[in-house]
Amino acid sequence: MARTNQIQAIALCLGTLGALAGCQGNRSELPPVHLINQMDFQQRFDAQEVNEFFQTVDCAKAHNPNQCEGRAARLPLAGTVAVGQLHDDDELYRGRGPDGRLLDRLPAAIKLSTELMARGEERYNIYCQPCHDYTGGGQGVATQRGGGFSVAPKNLNDPQIRAMPLGHFFDVITNGKGTMMPYAAQIPAQDRWAISVWVRTLQVARTPEEAK
Amino acid sequence: MPAIFPRWTNNIPLAVAVLGPFALAGLVGFVWYYFSPKYTDVGYRPIQPVPFSHKLHAGDMGMDCRYCHNTVERAAVAAVPPAATCMNCHSLVKTDSPRLKLVRDSFETGETIPWVRVHQLPDFAFFDHRPHLAAGVGCSSCHGRIDQMTIVEMDQPLSMGWCLECHRNPEPNLRPVDQITNMAWDPATDGKAYDAAKDPKRKRDVNPPEHCSGCHR
Ligand code: HEC
Ligand code: HEC
Ligand code: HEC
Ligand code: HEC
Ligand code: HEC
Ligand code: HEC
Repeated sequence: MARTNQIQAIALCLGTLGALAGCQGNRSELPPVHLINQMDFQQRFDAQEVNEFFQTVDCAKAHNPNQCEGRAARLPLAGTVAVGQLHDDDELYRGRGPDGRLLDRLPAAIKLSTELMARGEERYNIYCQPCHDYTGGGQGVATQRGGGFSVAPKNLNDPQIRAMPLGHFFDVITNGKGTMMPYAAQIPAQDRWAISVWVRTLQVARTPEEAK
Repeated sequence: MPAIFPRWTNNIPLAVAVLGPFALAGLVGFVWYYFSPKYTDVGYRPIQPVPFSHKLHAGDMGMDCRYCHNTVERAAVAAVPPAATCMNCHSLVKTDSPRLKLVRDSFETGETIPWVRVHQLPDFAFFDHRPHLAAGVGCSSCHGRIDQMTIVEMDQPLSMGWCLECHRNPEPNLRPVDQITNMAWDPATDGKAYDAAKDPKRKRDVNPPEHCSGCHR
């Protein structure tokens, strides 16, 4: 009799222990426990990590944001240029010719090809499609929800926009326009040109009678 | 004088002989199950400072991962996006939502949003997103169905054994390179139909490292 009670008690204990410990894959808000983790965190920083040393200065007194915002990654100071980042090719990086006007062709550094157009289509569908939709109509998914956009995206097939030079699209992506924010930080210059080409392609595809 | 060892102690050797192996097996099983990264790591899902939902943005709205994690193909890290990326839309929609207050503040002051890191390898292991994406390993192979998660959680253990399991036999996890962010790609059906060796877009065979210095540099 006592024996069965004991066994029951032990089984009960093991059962609760198991229930408390849970199963593999259970959700938890507690960080993973690594028994031996002396080398998990070493004297170096990952990207986007916090460095407490740079939080000791009060931001109001700091000479530049690098000193107080606690980023392990050091931001380049205003007015400095890293090697290879001068971007002095005005055609490629600003979309403007020697006369300072927006280009209506691709910059010399980029060649039109089917790869460029495929790249443009892919990148357009990543970065522009949420708002401007797949055809450029301006009915993207993001504009249809949560009360809708306070300013609707422009219809890229609008005659007014169709009349714009190719460089205009590059310029809008790079610097933004009106309520549309700049995308220069998200998209490298080469891809911005590829997207511009795709925007033009969409416009032409939309209006076969006007296409040349 | 009574005996030092009462009579019942005669049963101890027998009990040890019979129960010992069970206890040992139990202990081994316990460690095997509960000390595994499949238990300690999988399912980790910290509460984030902003209730950002991948299910809403990547799932329901179908946004591509690279809209926000835009460095993933160009740099080792995928990087959590800065507030400016959110403000592309949230300067126009849900502009006064209290849940987005931190994002708006961050955009104005430059102060960082304290996102909690979910996936993190120990500092002695080297990982780079680029070669994996270039080889056609999809996000979902390593991060699970992010587009169905309201709160990001770890779906895979990210242990050394897990890395090696794929490195020894990567073929079942490969897909066409333009499908890497497609969360609906199913290795069981789409993967079976796709043969990486016959894809004309692939210029070379993939060759993941299995030697120690490949990942411990
Ligand atoms: C967050 C939503 C959003 C995204 C993403 C977006 N746009 Fe826009 N876009 C807008 C809005 C809103 C306007 C209207 C701006 C205004 O008139 O104030 C606009 C306007 C435009 C215009 C017309 C500018 C003019 O001449 O008036 C072009 C061209 C354009 N976008 C191109 C793009 C391209 C190319 C991309 C992809 C890199 C893109 N947009 C991504 C919201 C967006
Ligand atoms: C609208 C922007 C946005 C999109 C689109 C997006 N993410 Fe995220 N992602 C974030 C933000 C912000 C975080 C940080 C907060 C968090 O962990 O929830 C994050 C975190 C993550 C993390 C965890 C990072 C860590 O700390 O370990 C993973 C993994 C991830 N995203 C994968 C994806 C995948 C895969 C997709 C495509 C299906 C995707 N994301 C689409 C914004 C985005
Ligand atoms: C492509 C546009 C777009 C981008 C980029 C975007 N969001 Fe959103 N977000 C939306 C839309 C649209 C909604 C409203 C959806 C709904 O209510 O159906 C929303 C809703 C939200 C909500 C819920 C707000 C509420 O009050 O219900 C949060 C939180 C949020 N987003 C956070 C973020 C964060 C953080 C980022 C940056 C990593 C981000 N979003 C980037 C379009 C976007
Ligand atoms: C081969 C597996 C694998 C694939 C494929 C993969 N990731 Fe990751 N991801 C990881 C690992 C491992 C980490 C942790 C890296 C670390 O701690 O250094 C990580 C970290 C992240 C993070 C956290 C921030 C960072 O970069 O450390 C984000 C965000 C992320 N991944 C997004 C993505 C997206 C988006 C994709 C698809 C385009 C993707 N990942 C594809 C394995 C993968
Ligand atoms: C789902 C499959 C898969 C998983 C999981 C995976 N890898 Fe890989 N990895 C690959 C493939 C495929 C390649 C080969 C790329 C090539 O040869 O072009 C690779 C290549 C690498 C390389 C070589 C990169 C270079 O510069 O040559 C490293 C380092 C690496 N992986 C580390 C890791 C680590 C660390 C993990 C675990 C956190 C991991 N991988 C998980 C598929 C995977
Ligand atoms: C595919 C990449 C990869 C290769 C190849 C690899 N490792 Fe690892 N190793 C890892 C990762 C990732 C971890 C971290 C796992 C964790 O703790 O999350 C790790 C962890 C370790 C650890 C610490 C284990 C622990 O539990 O803390 C040791 C020791 C180790 N590796 C030794 C080796 C040796 C020896 C080799 C060569 C035979 C090797 N590794 C090859 C990826 C790799």
